[in-house]
Amino acid sequence: MSNNKLLGMVIDQERCIGCEACSIACKVENNSVDYWIKVETQGGADKDTPGGSFPNLTMEFLPKLCNHCENPPCVDSCPEDALQKRNDGIVILDQELCSGCQACLTACPYNIIVFNENDNVVEKCHFCAHRVDQGLEPFCLICCEGQAIHFGDLNDANSVVSKLISGNNIFQLKTEKGTNPSVYYSPPRPKRRL
Amino acid sequence: MAKSEDVKLIRTVCPAHCGIDGCGIIAHLKGDHIVKLEPADFPNEKDRRICLRGLTSLEITYHSDRIQYPMKRIGERGEGKFERISWEEAYDLIVSKFKSISEKYGWKSIGWVLGGPGAGTTKFGAYLRLASLTQSTRVSAWGYGDAGLPCGSRIILGHQFPYLYLHGEFWQRKYPELLVIWGTNPAESMPLQNMRKVLDAKEYGTQVIVIDPRFTVTASKADEYIGLKPATDSALALGIMNVIFQNNLYDRTFILEHTNCPYLVRIDTGKMLRGKEIDAQKADAYVIWHEPSNSHKTLSRTNVKEANLTGTYNINGIECKTVFQLLMDLAGEYTPEITEKITGVDKELIIKLGKRIGNSKKINFLTHMGFTRTYHGDISLRGVISVAAITGNITTSVSSGNIPGILNWNPFLKAIPDKPSFHRMGILNLYDAVISGNPYPIKALWFAFINFLNQCANSNKIIEKFYPSVEFIVQTELFMTPSARYADLLLPVCSFLEFSDFIAQPYPYAQLQQKVIEPLYESKSDVTIVAELAQRLGYGEYFKGGEEGMIDIIMKTRSFEGTSREKLKSQAYMLPPLPEGATFPMNFRTPSGKIELYAEQLVEDGEALPVYLPPIEAPITSGKMKYPLTLVNGHTRFRTHSMFANVKSLLNLNPEPIVDINPFDAEKRNISNDDKVTVFNDRARTTLRARITEGIRPGVLNITEGWWIEQFEEGSLNHLTHDIINPVQDKVYEPNMHMNDVAVEITKNEGAKK
Repeated sequence: MSNNKLLGMVIDQERCIGCEACSIACKVENNSVDYWIKVETQGGADKDTPGGSFPNLTMEFLPKLCNHCENPPCVDSCPEDALQKRNDGIVILDQELCSGCQACLTACPYNIIVFNENDNVVEKCHFCAHRVDQGLEPFCLICCEGQAIHFGDLNDANSVVSKLISGNNIFQLKTEKGTNPSVYYSPPRPKRRL
Repeated sequence: MAKSEDVKLIRTVCPAHCGIDGCGIIAHLKGDHIVKLEPADFPNEKDRRICLRGLTSLEITYHSDRIQYPMKRIGERGEGKFERISWEEAYDLIVSKFKSISEKYGWKSIGWVLGGPGAGTTKFGAYLRLASLTQSTRVSAWGYGDAGLPCGSRIILGHQFPYLYLHGEFWQRKYPELLVIWGTNPAESMPLQNMRKVLDAKEYGTQVIVIDPRFTVTASKADEYIGLKPATDSALALGIMNVIFQNNLYDRTFILEHTNCPYLVRIDTGKMLRGKEIDAQKADAYVIWHEPSNSHKTLSRTNVKEANLTGTYNINGIECKTVFQLLMDLAGEYTPEITEKITGVDKELIIKLGKRIGNSKKINFLTHMGFTRTYHGDISLRGVISVAAITGNITTSVSSGNIPGILNWNPFLKAIPDKPSFHRMGILNLYDAVISGNPYPIKALWFAFINFLNQCANSNKIIEKFYPSVEFIVQTELFMTPSARYADLLLPVCSFLEFSDFIAQPYPYAQLQQKVIEPLYESKSDVTIVAELAQRLGYGEYFKGGEEGMIDIIMKTRSFEGTSREKLKSQAYMLPPLPEGATFPMNFRTPSGKIELYAEQLVEDGEALPVYLPPIEAPITSGKMKYPLTLVNGHTRFRTHSMFANVKSLLNLNPEPIVDINPFDAEKRNISNDDKVTVFNDRARTTLRARITEGIRPGVLNITEGWWIEQFEEGSLNHLTHDIINPVQDKVYEPNMHMNDVAVEITKNEGAKK
C-alpha cells in the first residue's frame, strides 16, 4: 500500500477564524443541497459564542467534513456499493448507484453525510476529487480565509501534511471508533498571557 | 466544474466596501453567463484571497430582485410604488429638476451623496468631476462612521490615516515582537489583508493583545484579551501611560526627535510659548528649555536633542511647562485604580499591559474605525497613538517594500484647471442643511452607492424631517433597499461583474476590475450614467471614453505609471519596490511637523491633550439610569455594511437580526436565549431575537450593523442611534456618527412573533 497515495487533510485550528467560507465554497463548487463541511464552534452553547465567563473566555472553531477514513463504516454499510474507497484514499460516492436508503448516515460516526430529498440520494465531501484528478487542490482549501487547510499525500514523508501530522498534539476525531480518519487537526497553540 | 473548452476565464476584482482586501477573482464565463467565481492568482501566491461574501457574488448579479429599468415614484415616498420609464425620460426629468432647482437656489443646493465606493475608484471620480464642473455640493460620507479616526489622525499625525504609522512594515510581513489590536475585529472586517497576517505574526512568534468590549473572533486568537467598557479607550491609554511613566519606560530619544513633547506651553493661556513672547529673533519659533545651558532657547534642529523633557519654568515672568510634563501630569491622575474604575479593566492587568508595552522592543498597533465611533472617538485614537509615540513605536520612514500606491483625485477635480471645485459638506451636516437650511439649503440629492436611510443615524429623524424637506431625490441602486423606497427616481446600476474600474488594492498591488458580462436588463454603470447626464448638462467632453476613459485618467497618475489597462487584464500589478538605500518618508503634516501629543488648536475645546472625556450617551457609570445599557454595532462577516443582506447563501448561515446580551443582564430582565426582545430608548424601539453570550461585556448590547430595516420585526439598529454633532470634529474635519455611543434598555417582548 505504501506505493499508493493516501490523500489527507490537516486543519489548523490556530488559523481557523470560523468564517465558513469553506462551507460556502464547497456548496458553490459542488452544488450541494447542504454543507459538506460545517464549522463547529467550541466554546459556548451557540455558534460564534465563547465558553467561560467574561472576560476569561475561549472560543475555537472546528471545521468538520468527511474524514475519508481508512476503515470507512459508510462503505461497509452501503447495500448498493455506491460508496467506495479509492486507491488514493478518497471515499467517493457514486450517486447513480445510491438508492437513498441512508444506511450510511447511520453508520457514519461523524454525522457528516447529507441526504438530498429532491433526488433521493445522499451527498458527501469527496475532497473535490474532480479537481484533485486534475492536479488541483480542494476548493475549500483555496478559499480558506485563514489559510488553515492543508492537503496532500500522507504516504509521502516529505509532504506538508506528513510533516504537520508528525507534530505535537495533532488529533483525529473519534479515534475510539477505529476508523482512522485521513483528516487531522492541529490544535490552537497555548496562550502566552501577560 | 471542470474547465472545458467553452469556458472563458476573466480576471476581475470584487470591489465590495471591505476597502483594503481587494480580492482578485477569476470569473468563469460560459456563453454570456457567469458560472463560477474563484480566487485569482497574485504574483505572491500567499496573497490569493476570497471571502465567504465574495463567493456568493453571483447571487447578487443574478438576483431576482434586481432593479431592471429606470423607475419614477408614483406613490408616497417610502411606499415603494414606482412606474417604469425610459432612460431618456429619466435624464429629461433630472435635467429639468436640476435646472429649476439651480435657478432658484443655485447649483450649491444640489448634493451628491457618495457613500462607500469600496475599492472602486472611477465611479467615485466621475461623480467628483461632475460635482466639480457644476460647482454643486459633494456630500462626504466619511461621517457615517468613518470620520472619527481621520479627525484624531489629522490632529496628532497630520494625516488622514494612521495605519502605516502604527503598523509600519506589517503589510510587508515583517512582524513585531508585540501586536496590540485595539478596537477592531479584522477576523471579520479585514480577514485577508489584516487577519491572515495577524495569524502569520503569531506563527512567527508575535504576542497578540486584543482590546475590545466584545470578545470577537479576533479576540479569541489573542494571547491576552482586554475587555474594556465601550468609549473608555482614552482612559485606558492614559492608564497605560501612567504605568510607563511610573516605571520610566518611555523612549526619550524618539520623543525628543519626533514629537512636540519638549516644547514649552504657557500655563496661563495653554498656548505654545513663541519666540516673539520672549523677544527672540525667531518670532514664531517654539521654545524649549535647553539642558546644557540651563536656559530657554528657541527651537532649532540641533538643540532639541538637548531639551529638557520635563519641568516647570518661569521665563521672563511667564510660567511654562513642557508638553511632556503636562502629559505626565494628566496621566498621573490615571492610576491603575482610577483607570480600573473607568474602564472596567482589572488594575493588575493594566499594570502588566503598561509594563509589557513599555518594555517591548518593537510593537505594531493595529486599529481601525470601530472604537472611534464614539462621541470622543477621535481622542481615543489620539490616546492609542500617544502610547505608541512615547514608546517610540511610530514608523517615521519606510526603507523597504513597495512604494505605496497613492490615489490622486486631482485630475478628476480639476477637469478645468482654474475653475473652482465643488462645495464640500459632511453627511452629518447634511441633516441640518436639508432640514433647516444651515449652512445653506440643499434641495436635491443624488445618492450613489449608499443605503442612506439604513446606514445613517436616527432613522425617524430622516423619515419624518429629512426626506420631506428634499424636493428631488435620485438614487442609483441594484435593489429596492430601505433608502431606495424614498427616491423619486431610481436608476438601475450594474453589479461589479458588469462594468470596469481601476482598483488600487490590496497593498502592494493595483488591479483591474474587468467587465465580465454586458450590463443586465437596462442597468448601466455609475460612470456611464454620469457621462450620459453630463452630456445633457453640456459637460460631455469631460467624460469621453466612458469607463475606460475614466480608468485612463487615474492610471496616468504617478503611482500607476508602470502599468497599463492591457497588462492588468491578466495579472495584478505589483507596485515598484523602493530602490536600494531609498526611504519613503512618513512626514507629519501637523502645524509643528511633529507628532502632536499636544494640539494647540484645541486648547479652547479642552482637548489639547489626549484627555479622557466621558461618552455622550453610553451609560458606563453605575447607578440608576433610564437607559442603563450601551448599544454597540459590530461588523459581521455575513455582510459588507448593508450589502449581501439579501443573499440567500449567507442568510442560510445567519438568518435574522439578533442582539447579543450578557447572561448577567439577561437574567435581571428574565430574558432567555432566543427570546424575542425589544431594545429601546427615547428615539425608537426595535424588536429582534436575543442571543445570550458571555462574549459581550455586561452592560453592553451588540446588534451587527447592515441588516435592512424590513428584516427587523420593528424599528432597526439605526432607529436607536443619534445624530449629535461633536463640534471639535466639525472644526477639524467633519463630524462623525457615534453609533457605538448609544444608551438603551432591553425588555422581553411577549407579544412579538415567535
